[in-house]
Order: sequence, then structure tokens, then C-alpha cells
Amino acid sequence: MNNFTETEERQALRKAVYDFGSKYGHEYYLKIAREGGHTNELWDEAGKLGYMGVAVPEEYDGGGGGIGDLAAVCEELCAAGTPLLLMVVSPAICGTVIARYGTEEQKQHWLPRFATGEVRMAFAITEPDAGSNSHKITTTARQDGDDWVLNGQKVFISGVDEAEAVLVVGRTEDAKTGKLKPALFIVPTDAPGFEAQDIPMDIVSADKQFTLFFDNVRLPANALVGESTDTALLQLFAGLNPERIMGAAFSLGLARLALNKATEYAKTRNVWGAPIGSHQGIAHPLAQIKVEIELAKLMTQKAAALYEAGDDMGAGEAANMAKYAAAEAAVHAVDQAVHTHGGNGLATEYGLGAMIAAVRVGRIAPVSREMILNFVAQHSLDLPKSY
Amino acid sequence: MTNIVVLVKQVPDTYSERKLAETDHTLDRESADAVLDEINERAVEEALKIKEAGEGEVTVLCVGPDRATDAIRKALSMGADKAIHVSDEALHGSDILATAKVIAAAIGKVEGVDLVIAGNESSDGGAGAVPALLAELLGMPQLTYAHHVSVEGSAIKVDRETADEGITHLEANLPAVVSVTEKINEPRYPSFKGIMAAKKKPVETLTVADLGLDAGEVGLDNAWSTVSEAAPKPPRTAGEKVEDDGDGGTKIAEYLVGQKLI
Repeated sequence: MNNFTETEERQALRKAVYDFGSKYGHEYYLKIAREGGHTNELWDEAGKLGYMGVAVPEEYDGGGGGIGDLAAVCEELCAAGTPLLLMVVSPAICGTVIARYGTEEQKQHWLPRFATGEVRMAFAITEPDAGSNSHKITTTARQDGDDWVLNGQKVFISGVDEAEAVLVVGRTEDAKTGKLKPALFIVPTDAPGFEAQDIPMDIVSADKQFTLFFDNVRLPANALVGESTDTALLQLFAGLNPERIMGAAFSLGLARLALNKATEYAKTRNVWGAPIGSHQGIAHPLAQIKVEIELAKLMTQKAAALYEAGDDMGAGEAANMAKYAAAEAAVHAVDQAVHTHGGNGLATEYGLGAMIAAVRVGRIAPVSREMILNFVAQHSLDLPKSY
Repeated sequence: MTNIVVLVKQVPDTYSERKLAETDHTLDRESADAVLDEINERAVEEALKIKEAGEGEVTVLCVGPDRATDAIRKALSMGADKAIHVSDEALHGSDILATAKVIAAAIGKVEGVDLVIAGNESSDGGAGAVPALLAELLGMPQLTYAHHVSVEGSAIKVDRETADEGITHLEANLPAVVSVTEKINEPRYPSFKGIMAAKKKPVETLTVADLGLDAGEVGLDNAWSTVSEAAPKPPRTAGEKVEDDGDGGTKIAEYLVGQKLI
């Protein structure tokens, strides 16, 4: 980013995606989510328009854009009331990892279908006993002839029932040292020994959460991402910045959705002969949220620009800060939107009550607010490590 | 191969508050968001469908100020091949007669036009007469208010639908001028590749002089009609409340009779 205006193409993309999402709208999304369904037609249509594959390289039939374009798509869909949670995972993490570190065979097999949105891939890193501590991951792959045999458990994995495969972060024994080191595997969701149990959640979402069990899941040699396990750590880091940038975009879109609802209501709701938005008690908190959103958006754009420029470390700091700021903005926006609506804020018709838990997720996932503050304290402020 | 020209216009977004300029009563373009008129998106969509069903080239033609490039870009991002943009200060305040003349002259710059597709009327001026005027100027048959179009060889068939006449089946030889209604189709959203390609597509910018027209034929001073006065729409008044004491239906009927609606 050399200036503070997005390119004409980025702006046109935002407009097109927002218009497209609005055709479906928040009511459509909530209806499907409350019925326990999936927004497949929305995903598929967005895929055909190339919106899910904007960041897939052109040589694999993708849009050839960057993470900034993908984040713009994600944000606009959320702002239009049609959040697609798997965008954070499938094209952003899995697509990026495979595009940067996959074997040519893996790229040929997966990327053209990431480009069209035809395939969705879940991402599994969190474990019941590991949480944010990825050093404690216990899902382990054992080599058996040419095959890999995977055992372990994962928790809070999004959209597994919609996914053709899961990118699983596991560990394997290093041939030379005998130490366990990370390894990423593409596991088909129909593999024998693979089981996904959905976790009942108090979030109105069209994408479910799952606990995964791997019981001697036998995988062919080419299930391992890349030529060897040597690049696994790099693969992991390659996926983390896009994940945070997309998490920020997701929160930003939801924050905009809530703020739009609140300002519309504040303009039209008349009490004592004046729209309630003319009172500073209503107007100022909404103005504050607008400030928070714009700041978080700017940091998200910066993170995307640094990432695209190849500055992974610089992007890491910005992406963490963006994700933090966007999640806070979204939580504040929904809270204030509910408050602006009074009783209507919790009436089903207005769809805001459903957003309370949805934006709260942004403070927890993909990494908690506290872990981000740890990162900033340690890396940006050079404070001693606390854990 | 069908060589199609689609007329597109940039208009103030119908969702925003639209008003006339206080000085000369022309459209106040600065006061509202400018968008590609939705009916033109349908015209572009129809042209693209004809092109995709066989072979063809789609040129979008826009008469409007410099910032109308945004509307042109949108049409190109949907899949049109190239554009002509007639932009000239002298055109400010032109009436439909002058507009039709300019459009006819610009179409003359495209070689071998088979089909001109327009929206039936714009959402700002709303005269609804430009397609017909244009057909007269070009000496082409006019098939207006189309809700269905099919091109078969050198012939075009159109189902024309109007509120007064119902459906009329029209047929003509190409070249022809067609105007479409909002029932014609659902316009596509620009794909990412379409958006990225749009900027690289050729846009030819022309002035009134380039078209061989005289500035004295166009613009506000040469318009056949003038707006002498304009006032904003009065705010909506509170409705009439009818208490239902078991005779609510009768009271509604009486109200409707009073309004000469039934």
C-alpha cells in the first residue's frame, strides 16, 4: 500500500461482492443457520464468480490476486450479512499452504478446485490438551512402508461436514534424531478411522464445530504436504498470517453489519418527535465504533500489504494487531447496536441477538486476545516472555 | 457474429436522495452516489447472452461526464468487450433529442452494428423515448419494451410487454434497436477475472466535435424543453387511522371508493 486508497479493482471487487451477498442477505443466512443448514448455494455461486479463488495463482486457474483481495471478499460477505466462515480456513490457510509448499501433484490436484470454490478444506490444529500451545500437539503420524498412519484427536474444527478433506497439523518422528517434529497431512473426510462429532454450540452459524478422532487413519505417502517434513514449520507459519488477516476481515464485516443496522435504526426510530440518532447518547457511541472499525480496517490492509510484499515478520505484527482490533470493534459494535435497538435488539426479527455470540468468537479464535497481547508484549515491546 | 452496441447510463443511485441543481434545474450529480443504471445491467446481460450463445462482440456506449467511466467499467467487468465514452462539457443539460443524435453519431463510429440494446427508460430522466428516437435516426426497426429477445440468423424476435397492450410478438431483420424491460433477465455479478480484465479493455473517449456534431445542436441552451421551476417532493403525511369496530372492511372500501381506486 503506497497510499490510503485501494485500487480501482479492489474497490470494484468489494462492491460486486457486497451486492452479491446482499442478494442473499442476513435473513437468508440466519434462517439457514437456525435450521442447522449450510449456505452451499451461496458458497458455490461465489465460487463460480471466482470470489473464493481470488488468491489462487493464475497458473492454477485462480484470480492471481493476494490475501488483501481474499480478505476484501470475506469482509464484504460478512458486511452483507452472509458470513462464510470457511473462507478463513479453506482458501486462506489451506489454499495458501498448498500453493506455497505443496508438491506439484498436490497443487495440480487441489488448487484449480480452490480457484472455483468447488472444494472446501477444513484446518485442524487445536487439540483438547494443547490449546494454543502447538508444541504440545500429540496427533502423531507413524510411517508404515510408504504409508502414514495417523492417531490423535482435534477439537473446535470448523465445517468438517462441508469439507472434502482436512489439513491436519500433526507430528512425526524425525528419522535422524527420533524427536517429534510437526508435519501437515491432507486427510480425506471419508478416510477409514476418521470420525467427526459435532459440538453443540450456542452460536447461530451455518458452519458447525467438530471434535475429530483419528484412529489408525491410513494415508498414502502423498498425503504429507510437501516433499518432506522439513518445511512443516514454515508451512504452519505460512498459514497463520492469512488466518489472522482473514479473522480480522471477518470481524470487520460483522462490525459493519451491526453498525449499519444500528445507524439505520437510529435514523428511522422516532421518539419524542426526533430520530433517536439525533441524541448524542446514541450518536457518540456509534461514531466511536466507526472510528474503531476504520482503524482496524487500516491495520488489516497494512497486514495484507506487508504479507503480499513478502515481509512475513512485519505482517505478523500487523496481522495480530488487526485481528485484535477488529475483534474488539465487532464486539463493541454488536453490543452498541443491540443497545441502540432497545428491546428490538434482542428480538429475533432484527438478527442482532444472534450476532452477540458470533462476534465473541473473534476474541477467542483463531488465537485468543491474550495470546496476541503476549505476542505484542514480547515482540513489539521486548518484554520478558511470560510463559 | 453479432455485433452489439449496448447503451449504458450512469445515474444517481435510486437508494440515495436525488435532487435537481438549484441553478439550472439539471440533475445534481454530486448529491448522490452514481451507479450504472440497473436497467442497463440487464441490457448488458442480454447482449452477453446473445454473444455467448453464438459469436459476437459487445461494445458499451455511454454519454456522460468523466466520472461515468465507473459505470462503463462495471459493464466491462460484466464481460463487455470495449467501450465508447462520449464526454463533453457542451452536453450538459442535453434533452432526449440531442442525446439521441449524439448516440446515433457515436454508433456510426462502430462498424457493422447488428443490434443496439438499451434499457426501456432510465431511472433518472425517465423519458423512455431515446430508443425510439434512436431507431428513427438510424433508420432501423425498433422493438421496444422487450421481456424476451432471440436472435435467429439475420432476424430478431422480441416479446414486447406493456401494461396497456399486453404481450405483442415482434419480428424484424437486423440491424435493429431493442429496448428491454426489467423482466428481461437477472444481470450477472462481475466475476473477479472480469473485474481484473475490465481495466485493460479499450475505452474510446469522444467529444461532440469528434462525432461531427455542432455544439449548437446539444446542451441545455438548445434543449426543446426547459424546466422553469422545481420543488422537492412534499414529505409523506400521516395516514388516516380507521378503528375497526367490526366494520373495518366497509370503511376500507369506502376509503378506496373515495380515492376512486375501486
